[in-house]
Amino acid sequence: MNANFKSWPVIAILSLVSLPLLIMFVFQIVDTFTNPYPGSIWPQMFTIEHWRFLWEEPATGRSSIWAVTWNTFVFASTTAVAVTSISLTAAYALSRLNFPARRFFLAGLIVLHAFPTITLIIAIFLILQFLGLYNSLMGVILVKAALELPFGIWIMKGFYDTVPWEIEMAGVQDGASRFTVWWKLVLPQVQPGLAALLIFSFLSGWSEFVLPLVLAPGNDAQVLSTYLSALILDDAKPDFNLFKSVGLFYAIPVIVIYLVFQKKLMNIYGGGSKG
Amino acid sequence: MPRFNALGFGFLAPALIVVALFFLAPVILTVFFAFTNMSTSTGITGGDYLLSQSDLRGVKASGVSDETYDALENAGYLVDDAGLARLAEARDQATADELAALHSGAKFDARRDMERALKDLRDNRIRSTRDRKALAELFKTSVMDERFGSEAAFRTALDGVGIPQADQDILVKEAYTGWVWTTENMKLLFSLDSSYRYAMNTVIYVTLTLGFNVGFGLFLAISTFYLSPGMAATFRTIWFLPRILPPVLYVLMWKWFTWDTGFLATITGYLGIAPRNWMLDTATNAWVVVILINGFVGASLGMILFSSAIKAIPSSMLYASEVDGANRWQQVRYIILPQLRWPILFTTSYQTLSLLTSFEYILLSTDGGPGRATEVWALAAYHTALNNYGGNLQYGFGAAYALILVIIGIAASLLYLRFFNFKELVTKPRIEG
Repeated sequence: MNANFKSWPVIAILSLVSLPLLIMFVFQIVDTFTNPYPGSIWPQMFTIEHWRFLWEEPATGRSSIWAVTWNTFVFASTTAVAVTSISLTAAYALSRLNFPARRFFLAGLIVLHAFPTITLIIAIFLILQFLGLYNSLMGVILVKAALELPFGIWIMKGFYDTVPWEIEMAGVQDGASRFTVWWKLVLPQVQPGLAALLIFSFLSGWSEFVLPLVLAPGNDAQVLSTYLSALILDDAKPDFNLFKSVGLFYAIPVIVIYLVFQKKLMNIYGGGSKG
Repeated sequence: MPRFNALGFGFLAPALIVVALFFLAPVILTVFFAFTNMSTSTGITGGDYLLSQSDLRGVKASGVSDETYDALENAGYLVDDAGLARLAEARDQATADELAALHSGAKFDARRDMERALKDLRDNRIRSTRDRKALAELFKTSVMDERFGSEAAFRTALDGVGIPQADQDILVKEAYTGWVWTTENMKLLFSLDSSYRYAMNTVIYVTLTLGFNVGFGLFLAISTFYLSPGMAATFRTIWFLPRILPPVLYVLMWKWFTWDTGFLATITGYLGIAPRNWMLDTATNAWVVVILINGFVGASLGMILFSSAIKAIPSSMLYASEVDGANRWQQVRYIILPQLRWPILFTTSYQTLSLLTSFEYILLSTDGGPGRATEVWALAAYHTALNNYGGNLQYGFGAAYALILVIIGIAASLLYLRFFNFKELVTKPRIEG
């Protein structure tokens, strides 16, 4: 479809507007391995000193990067498993099973899916204080999983809706219970959706910032996002090379997972949860 | 005849519990909290009863009788049996007996006089001044500066210093340190100038960011559509990265790009412009950066949705237009854009709500600065209730801010339900149906 026009003006404009992002990406990576010329930003020589946070003892009052990484991993994977398993059953019920007030629950799901959950953070903060879960990883995990749930159910319902009815009818005809049909026949059909939701929730948990910041500000439950933001806020004289190294360390799993599972994830990002 | 399926409820139960606990309860509680004066200083559970010197002015204004006020302000020290018993316990019986012999029944207005009385002791000298000060307190008859765990205990103490019942009710209210119900938050919210400024900021933020998201998303989708697949994929990846990178890191890159030691300052330095913080030095700059930070993330959503909608256009239509001699602009204007009406409407309505309530990127980049120039409504709620510079977190007032957003959120979500193709979603299950 390029009969009447040339491509190069489009490429030129696109390159120009992409330039700021490209510069940011390139320096984000280059700066973690180099030192700049004094008083400038141009890289001068190779060094690994910006990565010393990985092996050096942490400064007093700071947690070790490995403890924080472990927290982040626990946080992200637990929320992912919780969201996926609860969505898996709830979405099946909404998609396929008949029970009273089904219409009401479906309407509720749409409302919840559209509702901006971040507005509830003040009330949730106080609820966690009442429950005694404030400042614990457990509390943030619960909240993150809960807030992610309407989205998860929504996505899973979409996957269940595409499974042909004939599969289930055949199973029921042969005398299997609805539960067995779901477990043995339907679940294998929605496995791609299950994997996509699991990965998406993991990434979403790994990147989460506001919830840990508000609900678990203590050192014990610190995750990489709050660790990095505290590091940036603390320093009187910003050491961007260090920040970028920590940032790259933090983002590597995200980039790797994204590169590996790109195709699976694209379905979900279309209806993504970020503004 | 539809069959009832218990499995349905069983499967739904975990989700329902979570929804009740983390959606319904917070929505209801936000309403409650918005009508309380909860803050760090009142605590969130109960409170104690405490009259401090600083409360006295409030007490005077609250309309208690002059005698009561006098009894509170000029409460003194009385050497009575109860005080002597306390002294005997703190020191020994001999000391108490000697003081009783010297000063039993004596009344002192100031603590200094009470201390002097203790100094009179000869046989059982209390040598250290600090001890005398502490022991003098044992004879205090005032209820001031003393913490009472319950209302009953506080009233008993008030009876003890002879305060009439009518005034006690007022004092109980004044002395309570816990939270109480109030409509003050709402009044304050609508009377403060800053509320209107935050509302204006929110309107500016949502409108400009949304315009950028949709406009730039359209530009990306349409321009990459005309490129070779490899080229298109490259540009789409570049523009998709801001969405998948963790927000903290993404904003860090912007900080490096705009701060006074960063990229822009260095480049403009070559042109002889003094290094400055391009993100925070003026309100206009802060707005531009805030909108670009959000816009670069938001544009990728538009890009994805619009790209797939454009791909769905039958290519025969496009070829036909080219044969007819349409130039690129005509092709975009008369073939592509009309097909994108629904995706554009969806993106607009979806992002309006999420922009209205999200504050993550602003919090990370300008934190509402410089001054309060980029403080939007959602960020104001966060700053008031969860992180302010004064240290006294006003949960109640913050909840009042949040309540406005919750109401808008619920209304908008219900609107979506109205316009959604709901019938298609609720097709009857075919096995039980």
